[in-house]
Order: sequence, then C-alpha cells, then structure tokens
Amino acid sequence: MFDFKLTPETPKKEHKSDLYDVIIIGGGPAGLTTAISTARDGMETLVLDRESTGGLAATTDIIENYPGFPEGINGMDLMDRFRRQAERFGTEITEFEEVSEVRPIKEGLIEVETDTEQVYRGKTVVIATGSRPKKLNIPGEDEYYGKGVSYCATCDGPLFRGKDVIIIGAGNSGLQEGLPVLDYANKVTFLEFLPSSRAEQILQDRVKAHAKSTLLFNQRVVEIEGEQTVTGVVSIDRETGERQVFPADGVFIYVGYSPYTAFVKDLVDLNQWDYIKTDQHMRTKIPGLYAIGDVRADNPAQMTVSVGDGTKAALDIREFIQEL
Amino acid sequence: MALLSDDIVQNVKEMLADMPREGTLTVFTDDQDCEYCEQILQLVDEVAATTDRVRVEKFEIHKNADEAAAMNISRAPAIAITGEEDYGLRFYGIPSGYEFSTLLHGIHAASQGTSDLDGQVKDFLDGLSKPVDFKVFVTPTCPYCPRAAVLAMEMAIESKLVHANVIESAEFPELASQYNVMGVPLSVINDTERVEGAAPPQMIVDAVRKAIAT
Ligand SMILES: Cc1cc2nc3c(=O)[nH]c(=O)nc-3n(C[C@H](O)[C@H](O)[C@H](O)COP(=O)(O)OP(=O)(O)OC[C@H]3O[C@@H](n4cnc5c(N)ncnc54)[C@H](O)[C@@H]3O)c2cc1C
Repeated sequence: MFDFKLTPETPKKEHKSDLYDVIIIGGGPAGLTTAISTARDGMETLVLDRESTGGLAATTDIIENYPGFPEGINGMDLMDRFRRQAERFGTEITEFEEVSEVRPIKEGLIEVETDTEQVYRGKTVVIATGSRPKKLNIPGEDEYYGKGVSYCATCDGPLFRGKDVIIIGAGNSGLQEGLPVLDYANKVTFLEFLPSSRAEQILQDRVKAHAKSTLLFNQRVVEIEGEQTVTGVVSIDRETGERQVFPADGVFIYVGYSPYTAFVKDLVDLNQWDYIKTDQHMRTKIPGLYAIGDVRADNPAQMTVSVGDGTKAALDIREFIQEL
Repeated sequence: MALLSDDIVQNVKEMLADMPREGTLTVFTDDQDCEYCEQILQLVDEVAATTDRVRVEKFEIHKNADEAAAMNISRAPAIAITGEEDYGLRFYGIPSGYEFSTLLHGIHAASQGTSDLDGQVKDFLDGLSKPVDFKVFVTPTCPYCPRAAVLAMEMAIESKLVHANVIESAEFPELASQYNVMGVPLSVINDTERVEGAAPPQMIVDAVRKAIAT
C-alpha cells in the first residue's frame, strides 16, 4: 500500500569551469540525456534548470511506454535515475536558475545569462527547455489557482479525496493523470473541447470502464466559479449551445503545452507555434547552439524522442568541439 | 512484512552512513484514532535498523501528555526529528512516498546540526529576532514537496527561532481545510504569509521578512 522514495538533496553550487564544453539549458529527459553522453565523453558539462531537474516527465505518476521498465515507472523515479547517471560522469547541475539570455560571441564561445545575473560561458549551448502547461485564459483560472485550480494532478490530487473533481482536457495527459484521481475522488468529470478524445485507446478504455468517471465532449469551458475556493466550472455544449454549471471542488487543467522559447526568439528560427527549428543534427542556425526535446519543432512530446534528440546533439557536439 | 524494500534499505544505509552524531526520531501515536500509527512505528524501526546512529523513542500522545507538551506536539501521528539539540523539526503523518526523503534529510541534517544553505540566507537567519513558524503542507505523491519541506527544516537548524512543521495534508484534512490547502507544497509562515510551490531560498526569506514585519 505504501511506497517509499528517495530524492537527491539540492546539489551544491560549485562552478568548476570558466569555459564549459557544453551548457545545457533545461534538465528534463532531453537535456539530461545529452549530459550523460557529453560528460561520459569527458566534456565539461553544466546543466541549468529554472526549477528542480526532471522536467515535465517528473510530474507524471506513471510512464508505461519507456522501454526497459515492463511494469511502468513513476516519472520522478525515472528522472532521478537520469540525473544520477549524468552526475556519475561528472555533470554539474545548478537548479533554480532561469536562463534569461543567450549571447553568441564568436564561434566556440556562447554566453548564457541567468535571472540572477550569473554569466556562464560555453563552447556549445543546448536549449532543452521543453514546454509548460497551457492556460485556458478564462475568468477564475488565475484567481483560483492554488485554491482548487491546479496543473498537476499527481501533486495535488490527494487533497481531493472524496470530493468532486473536473479535468479539463481529455487528451493523453488529462486521461493519464485523471486515472489515479478516480481511485480516491468521489467523482471525476472530464470535459473535452473536441467531439472525441485523441488519447491512446488504452487510456480511454480504462477511464470509461471506471464507475466514477464521466467523459463529456464538445465542451467549451468558459469560466471557473468559486467563492473562497473553487465551486464549479461553467461550460457551453458546442453542439446544443446549452450552458451548464458543473459543481466541483477541484479543477485540473490539461489543455496542451506551449514551448519555453521567448528568451531566444530573436536568435533562432521558430515555427508558427514558437517551437525551435533545427536540422536533423539538432543544430539551430547559430553554430554551436542546439535545440532538443519538446522545445523543438515537429516533435511529438514523447520521452523516447527527447532522449533520441539528446543523443544526436551530443554526437554532433563532439565533432563540433574537435573541429574548433 | 517489511515496509522498505531491500533496494531502499541499501540506499538508506548509504545516505545515513556519514551521520556525524546520533539523531533521534520521537514518535507520538494516538491509541484512539490513528489510521497509520502502526506503520509509522514500523517504519522508524526499519530506518533505525539501517544504522547505529538513529535512535527511536515512542510515546502515546494522551498517556504521555507531558512528553508531548515538552516537545510542543498537540497532534498525532507526529515525529519529532532531533539531533544533539531539538531544532524544532516535526513531521505530522506518515512519511511515505516522496516524504520519506524529507524524513531522511531531516534526520541527517539534525545530526549534522548545520545546513547547506548559502551564506546570505544564513546571515539573514542569524539576524532574526522574532520566532518563525513554518507549516509546510505536502502530499506523499508530490515530487516537489521534499524541496519545500527540507528547506524549512534547514532554516530551523540554522536558527533557534525557526520551527519547521511538515504536514501530510491528506492525513490532517481539518488542518488542510483550515489553511485552505488546495495545492502542494504550500509553506505557511507565522500563519500569515503563504508561498506556493517549491520556491528558491531567497523567495522564502522574502516571505519570512514580510511575516515578521506584521
Ligand atoms: C502529464 C504528462 C504525462 C506524460 N506521460 C508521458 C508518457 O507516458 N510517455 C512519454 O513518452 N511521454 C510522456 N509525457 C511527455 C514527456 O514528459 C515529455 O515529452 C518530456 O518531458 C520532454 O522532455 P524535455 O527534456 O524536452 O522537456 P521538459 O521535460 O519539459 O524539461 C524542460 C526543463 O527545462 C527547464 N527550463 C525551462 N525554461 C528554462 C530556462 N529559461 N532556464 C532554465 N531552465 C529552464 C524546465 O524547468 C524543465 O525542467 C508526459 C507529459 C506530461 C505532462
């Protein structure tokens, strides 16, 4: 019934190098994979993250399609392993520092500045900043954030034991994160904008089979209502135009993700949704500057793809540095 | 059956191997109303069995009301985590899931009697003149929670005026609703300032400043 987990302590800040071979911005699956390869290759590697490492993958309860874990594995557990593997080969990791600017100086020298005005210098820089949950931008969403509105069901779900919960968005993330909530909430209603779910069939089947779940389509959620805390969600049926209030104590929002690229928007090419364009070696148009993982254009937001990106960048970095 | 798997026991051993001094886990249970008290007692015993540096004491909150009062504990289940001194580290509920990490980091830090906080934060804590009470609300499934909990504990170790109470929200629903906890981690400082999420030390320092100014 219980499980017990160990997470690493905050790593100490000791900056060993004036000029790193590789600076990786973002310590999710993509960034840590590059670090494992480059550090193991003997390159001086620094990972910077605005939060704790682990990225989005660390916020999910269970990952079932990552090869090597036949029973599935908890996201944070898996990301702990990535991190320990990177550290084992000497990767330096600094958390809670957000990169605010990247400045290419000349070939083989790129500066990275953080919000604490620290400047790091690297021969190469890898952007692995992933994406963050999209907001709905409707009334009540900001007002009741932390008062019933949440973007992490794994974290906050247990606070709604025996209560009524609404999950907005019935894609892969919404269904996957809603499943464990079904075990302890009184009732979970999924509201989806589209006429059907685009989630994997196995997830849809599991949710539908659950006695406490209701799955509704064609729902345009227009407001989150509350007093001190959330009391419900107002939604319009896109077919009938009917406006309905769904009472709820908790609302979890899973309506997609948008990339963290504002800090490099004038430096690299972005696609129409602000994802970074690269060539097949993960190179941006600036020599020595790479982009990998969910932040990269045309990527399907899957762990295995992020990991593949990370390795490709590491291989190209080795050649780039040898030729400097 | 053991609560901790062989793998975890091995990791706990490694983690606690360099405890410089003895640490104590004092558990307060409640005979009348306590869902997981038995498991908590078993858990601390299993932790203590991994090292000769961790001692366990067990009390029942009603029968041992004096001991509870002496440690400023009014709710069970609770674990007081102490080193050579009582730095004010308390965990309320069963430290399962990610919160197991909080327990271990707590006992390790209490044994050391010092923290890894950086100089600026330590200077601020040295200069405190008013008491600071942290209530850090967590859940066992929240990966960011140990960060917030351990930070409060480290601050408590650096200053006699700081107390760190970590509360497993699902086990104390009345406290969670009194403090309107609907997202974790949530750090409540002196019952007035609230910081949501695993905030960096400087942000917590700013919140403490505000809390003691009022
Ligand atoms: C709920 C959920 C369930 C999922 N389940 C699965 C699954 O079952 N299988 C699967 O394959 N995939 C799954 N995914 C997708 C998977 O998590 C992502 O594809 C993967 O995490 C992407 O990795 P990444 O390294 O590119 O980015 P991220 O994981 O997003 O990591 C980016 C990191 O960069 C940091 N960062 C951002 N900006 C900055 C900055 N300016 N400075 C410093 N650091 C910064 C962030 O803090 C973050 O740690 C799931 C995702 C979610 C949200």
